[in-house]
Amino acid sequence: MTAQIELTNVNKYYGAYHALKDIELSIRKGSFTALVGPSGCGKSTLLRSLAGLESISSGTLKIASEVMNAVPPRKRDVAMVFQSYALYPHMTVEENLTYSLRIKGVAKAERKKAANEVAAVTGLTHLLGRYPRELSGGQRQRVAMSRAIIRHPKAFLFDEPLSNLDAALRVHMRKEIRALHDRLGATSVYVTHDQVEAMTMADHVVIMRDGVIEQQGSPLQLYDRPANKFVAGFIGSPAMNFLPAVGGQDGRSIILDLGIKQTIALDRAVQPGRPLIVGLRPEHIELAEAGEGVLSAPVALVESTGATCFLTMQTTPELSVVFNGRSEARAGDRVGLNFASASIHLFDADTERRLPD
Amino acid sequence: MSHQTRDRLLLAIAIILAGIYLFPLYWMYITTIKSGSEMFATPPTFWPTDPQWQIFGNVWQSRNMGRYVWNSLVIACGAVSVITVLGVGCAYVLARYRNIWVDIGLFLILMLQVLPASLMVTPIFVGFSQIGLLNYPRLAVILAIAAKSMPFFVVLVRATFMSVPQELEEAALVDGNSRVGAFFNIVLPLARNGILVSAILIFMQAFGEFVYSKSMIQAVELQPASVGLNSFMGPNTNEWNNIMAYAAIYVTPILAIFVLLQRRIVSGLTSGALK
Repeated sequence: MTAQIELTNVNKYYGAYHALKDIELSIRKGSFTALVGPSGCGKSTLLRSLAGLESISSGTLKIASEVMNAVPPRKRDVAMVFQSYALYPHMTVEENLTYSLRIKGVAKAERKKAANEVAAVTGLTHLLGRYPRELSGGQRQRVAMSRAIIRHPKAFLFDEPLSNLDAALRVHMRKEIRALHDRLGATSVYVTHDQVEAMTMADHVVIMRDGVIEQQGSPLQLYDRPANKFVAGFIGSPAMNFLPAVGGQDGRSIILDLGIKQTIALDRAVQPGRPLIVGLRPEHIELAEAGEGVLSAPVALVESTGATCFLTMQTTPELSVVFNGRSEARAGDRVGLNFASASIHLFDADTERRLPD
Repeated sequence: MSHQTRDRLLLAIAIILAGIYLFPLYWMYITTIKSGSEMFATPPTFWPTDPQWQIFGNVWQSRNMGRYVWNSLVIACGAVSVITVLGVGCAYVLARYRNIWVDIGLFLILMLQVLPASLMVTPIFVGFSQIGLLNYPRLAVILAIAAKSMPFFVVLVRATFMSVPQELEEAALVDGNSRVGAFFNIVLPLARNGILVSAILIFMQAFGEFVYSKSMIQAVELQPASVGLNSFMGPNTNEWNNIMAYAAIYVTPILAIFVLLQRRIVSGLTSGALK
């Protein structure tokens, strides 16, 4: 597969502030890539650099094999959907959609045809004559998407396009955007701070922090084998439990420190006495009868949504457990906890990097 | 005190204050149409017994007001054009870029506004006469007014530009437009109301400008109406009805513009005319 967007050794400075640090990224043609991370991690700066709204300080940026470092936005042939939608308030929906074509000098009849085609796909046909202020949030979002689609660009760039919608609509639009991407066979780059969006929509997820790419890969790769503690904590909801531990004397176990020390057998070798951070996903812990299981701890809090049950254990640090179904357990009860040795993630206590399995 | 009585009391105060404020205007209009003897009657009459409507035509003719008003128009339009063309660009830059130099520029602009025309007129006069600009006195006045009113315009229009989201411009850039194209296509139409309102305010200021015109325009045939009105008055003037008629003819168009556009002016000043 050919790379549609390629970044090599890209750096970006705002004065003394180093916003992007040695970014290496290759985005496959036709793929859906999500850039995700906490606010201020550089994901939006990276996206804006792709669009040409920010210039990069060093490195190479290629779109469709052409170096784009100094090319202005209008010559990059990429389309962008903004967080605020950025619809032109003084133009009707149709004029908004065809604005790019008008600049290109496409004839009026052809523009109208293109607008009608796109509107039919996105369900905007009856709204073409309206102004943006007369539309609901979801409709505006659709206009913003259509404005990008009509151009058949080399890449779609999305800057947190769903963050202004309510929860129900967001879930709906998530599917719609993904379906549209598949239908158009387009290359999409999607910025979000919501890891659920990234995990559900993208086939390639790039996790950033402080201007650095912490890890990239398929959503399940990131979930199964997070490269460090940050990625492990960022991916998955509720977040992964992190527990301090040291390697056991036999080299095949760890000693967990949950207020009281507990020895747990491992399926892999570990250096005796080495300080570790143990990562354990809440959904990988099962409840067992008191006295059974790998661990035993008192329950601090039970929260149930009906379908799912969230338990918080009275340990230091707190341990959370989530499972489908209901629990008879009450705060103060002592329960057993069980988990497979293979579901344990081990990180170095100093570098916070994943230890080889 | 109940809400209703309080509201009524406040309304009464507002009406009384407005009455005091507008009384001179009312007095100007009724003095205009009073006859000579009624004008000096004690106690004064608040509604003329014998309205002299023909006075408007007479004053217009005898004082050659057509020429004066034309000069005022030329000066006001010239100043507005210069200010709009230069000020819009200036305001845009000040709205979009933020650094120490822009802050210094903005500070200087605001400083300029503090200086009164009567203070500035001497150095301007000397400077203009050195470079021979006083041979084109109306142009000289236009430039002087432009310099004086530009800060006011720039500050107002800058606020308008700041209310146009930058993302719209970026969307236009990504959509294939150039920086200049995005300005004319997207930003300018959205800022149009604010610019128009500011230009009208500048026009009204320039139309009534006196200090620069009086100092720089010696030739009677080039003087604007404000200077014409001033030359009407002498130490022994007693034809107040004629003077008031002149003033009425002079200010009524401005008042009319203001009343007609009052809504847009107020909303343009407060909201930045967008959203």
